[in-house]
Amino acid sequence: MIAKTCIKELKELMRDGRIRTAFLIVIVLLGVAIWISARQYQSINEQYQSAKTTERSVWDDQGEKNPHSAAHYGTYAFKPKYPLSLLDQGVDKYAGSSIFLEAHKRNEAQFSVAADQTGLARFGDLTPDFILLFIIPLFIILLGYNSFTKEREMGTLTLLKSLGVPSWKWALGKWLALFFPILAITALLFLLAGILLSNLQDFGVFNWTSLLMMFVVYIGYYVAFINIVLFISLKVKKSGIALVLSLSIWILACLVAPKAASNIAEAKHPYPTRQEFAANVLKDKQEGLDGHDPWSKESKLLEQKVLAEYGVDSIHKLPFNFDGYRMQKGEEHEAEVYLKHYNYLKEQFSEQSKVYKGLAMISPYLPTRFMSMAIAQTDYNTHWDFADAAETYRIATQKFLNDNFAQNSTYGEWSYRADADFWKQLPVFEYDPPELKTILAQNSSNLWILAIWLAISFSLLLLTTKNI
Amino acid sequence: MISTNNLTKKFGDFTAVDQLSLSVNEGEILCLLGANGAGKSTTINMLLNFINPSSGSATINNLDVVKNPIKTKEYITYIPENLMLYPSLSAIENLDYFSGIAGKQLPSADLEGFLRDAGLQEEAFHKRISTFSKGMRQKVGIAIALAKDTKVLLLDEPTSGLDPKASNEFGNLLQKLRKKGVAILMATHDLFRAKEVATHIGIMKDGQLRQQFIAEDISLAQLEKAYLETMEYKEVLS
Repeated sequence: MIAKTCIKELKELMRDGRIRTAFLIVIVLLGVAIWISARQYQSINEQYQSAKTTERSVWDDQGEKNPHSAAHYGTYAFKPKYPLSLLDQGVDKYAGSSIFLEAHKRNEAQFSVAADQTGLARFGDLTPDFILLFIIPLFIILLGYNSFTKEREMGTLTLLKSLGVPSWKWALGKWLALFFPILAITALLFLLAGILLSNLQDFGVFNWTSLLMMFVVYIGYYVAFINIVLFISLKVKKSGIALVLSLSIWILACLVAPKAASNIAEAKHPYPTRQEFAANVLKDKQEGLDGHDPWSKESKLLEQKVLAEYGVDSIHKLPFNFDGYRMQKGEEHEAEVYLKHYNYLKEQFSEQSKVYKGLAMISPYLPTRFMSMAIAQTDYNTHWDFADAAETYRIATQKFLNDNFAQNSTYGEWSYRADADFWKQLPVFEYDPPELKTILAQNSSNLWILAIWLAISFSLLLLTTKNI
Repeated sequence: MISTNNLTKKFGDFTAVDQLSLSVNEGEILCLLGANGAGKSTTINMLLNFINPSSGSATINNLDVVKNPIKTKEYITYIPENLMLYPSLSAIENLDYFSGIAGKQLPSADLEGFLRDAGLQEEAFHKRISTFSKGMRQKVGIAIALAKDTKVLLLDEPTSGLDPKASNEFGNLLQKLRKKGVAILMATHDLFRAKEVATHIGIMKDGQLRQQFIAEDISLAQLEKAYLETMEYKEVLS
C-alpha cells in the first residue's frame, strides 16, 4: 500500500503542469547556480594561486635589505578557497581573502568579494546554497501543501477511509512521494558538484566524505520541512489555508528567524566599534614596550634587565644587536596586546554563536546553515582559524627577521643588510583548515538540534495521522 | 452479513438514528427510503465506523464495526452519492490504486475485466477520470467492489443525478453483484429504482425504521402509498 500510494502521488504530481514547470525551474536554477559558482571558484582559485606565487617571489626577491625594513615591507597570507565553497559560499564573500602581515600590527582580512561589488550585491547572488536553503523548501511546500487537503476537497478521503486503509501506511506513501523528488534534486546537485570538484584537482583537496555529510545535513533539513508541510496539510481542511500556513512557516523559518537571531545575538553580545577597538589596542600598546623607541621607560628597563643578565655595562658589549632584541620584545608585547583584544572579539563571537545555537531551536534553517557553512569551511570559525594561523605566522616571521637583525649586526648598525638569499629561508605560509571530524565535534549541538527537529516533526506527523 | 441492533445515534438533543434494527443477508439488497434527515446516511456512516453509535451495535459479517474497524472494512465497498476518484489518473489507474490499497494486487488484464464487467466502455479505460460523467465514475466504483471481491456494498444515493439509462445500468450491476452473494444496503430517494433492484425495502423517518417490505410482495403503487403515509404527506395523499 505504501508503494502504491507513493507511485500514485508521483503520477499525480508529474501530471500537474504547475509542478512540472516548477521542477524544471528548480533544475535550471540549480544548473545555472552550479555553473556560476564553478566559474567563480575556478577564477578565485586561479587568482589565489597567482597571488600566492607572485607575492612569494616578491618577498624572495627583495635583495639585500635590513630585516626590519623587510618586516615593514611585509607580506600577505592568502586564504584558500575550499572545494565545498562551490556549494556554500558562507561568509567568504564578506570576510576578506588576504591578510597583510607586517611589523607591529595585526591587520584584518581585506579584499572581500563584497567590497569589490556595487550596492546591487545586497540583492544577493544565485548560488547553490541559496537554492538549497530557500528554494527547495519552497518547492517542498508547492509539492506537499495539499497532499492531504486535496483528498478532503476531492472527496477521495471518504472512499479511502471506507477501504480500511491504515492511515500511517497511507501517510507514509504520501511522505515518500514528497521525499523522493526532493532526494533526487538534492542528489543530482551534490553529484554534479562532486563530479565538477573531482575534476578540479589542482585546487585544494576535495573530500567526498565532507560532501556526503553536507548532503545528509540538507536531507535532514528537507525531511523536517516535509514533515511540517504534511503536518499542516493534515491539520487544516482547505488547501488554500495549508498553502498560506506553510508559506508563513517558510517565511518565519528561513527569513525572519535568522535575522531575528542575528539581531538578538548582536544586542546581547555586541562587538566593539572599529574606533573603540583601535583605541583600546593603542592604549594597551602604549602601556608597554615600543620596539622603535629606545628612550622610553620600558626600553630603559629592558636595557637594564638585559645588561644585568649578561653581566655587562653597555649594550655595545652584548653579543647581539640590542636594537634587534628590543624590536623583538616590542613585537612580543604588541602580539600579546593583539591576542588579548582579538580574544575578546572571539569571546564575543563565541557568545553570539551560543545565542544563535540556542535560537536554532526556533528554525531548522539555523542549524542547517551553520552545519553547511562549517562543512564547506566558509563559516566564521574557519575564518577565525585562518586569521589566527596568519597571526601565528606573522609573529614567527617577525621573530625570524628580528633574530637575524640581532644576531648579525651590532647595536646602532641600522645600515645592516641581510643577504638576498635570506628571505627564501622564511617558510611559506600554509594553512590547514579544521578537518571534518573536528568540524562535526564543534557543531555537535547543531546536529543535535537538527535531530530534535526531525524527532519532533516526525512525532507530530505520526500522532496526527492517527486522527485522519 | 449486515446487522444492526438497536443502533442509535444522537447529536446533542437530536436523535439521528433511533434504535434501528435491521439485517441484510448475502444476496440481498435492502433499500432504505426516507426523506432528507431520516437517518439513512448516518446509519451507513456508523456501519463504516466513520461515526460511533451512541448506543446499540452494528456488525458486518458478525464483527462489531466499532471493535473491528479495519477488519470489517475489508468486507465493505462504499459508493457515496458522488463518488470521487483521482481526476488526473485514468479509470484503470484509479482501479489499480484503490483495489491495491485494499490488498488486491491484480494484473492489468483482470482490472480491465472488472471495468468491463462494471459496464464501462473500453475506450474509457485509459482516459483520465476528469473527463468522466458521474455514471461512469459510479461504474468504476462498482469495478472497485468487483476487484476487491467485496462481501458488503454500502450505497448512499448512488443513482441521484444519473440519467435514466445510467440509473438502469447501475441497477443491473447491483443485480449482478447480488447474484454473486453480495449483501447490499442502499440509501435512496428513488422509489422506482428501489422497487426495481431491492429484495427488501425499508422506510425510515426520524431515525426509525417505520416500515419494512419484501420487494416482490409489494407493487410500486403500494410502495409509493406506504411511503407517503409514513412521511405523513397528507396533501399529496388527498
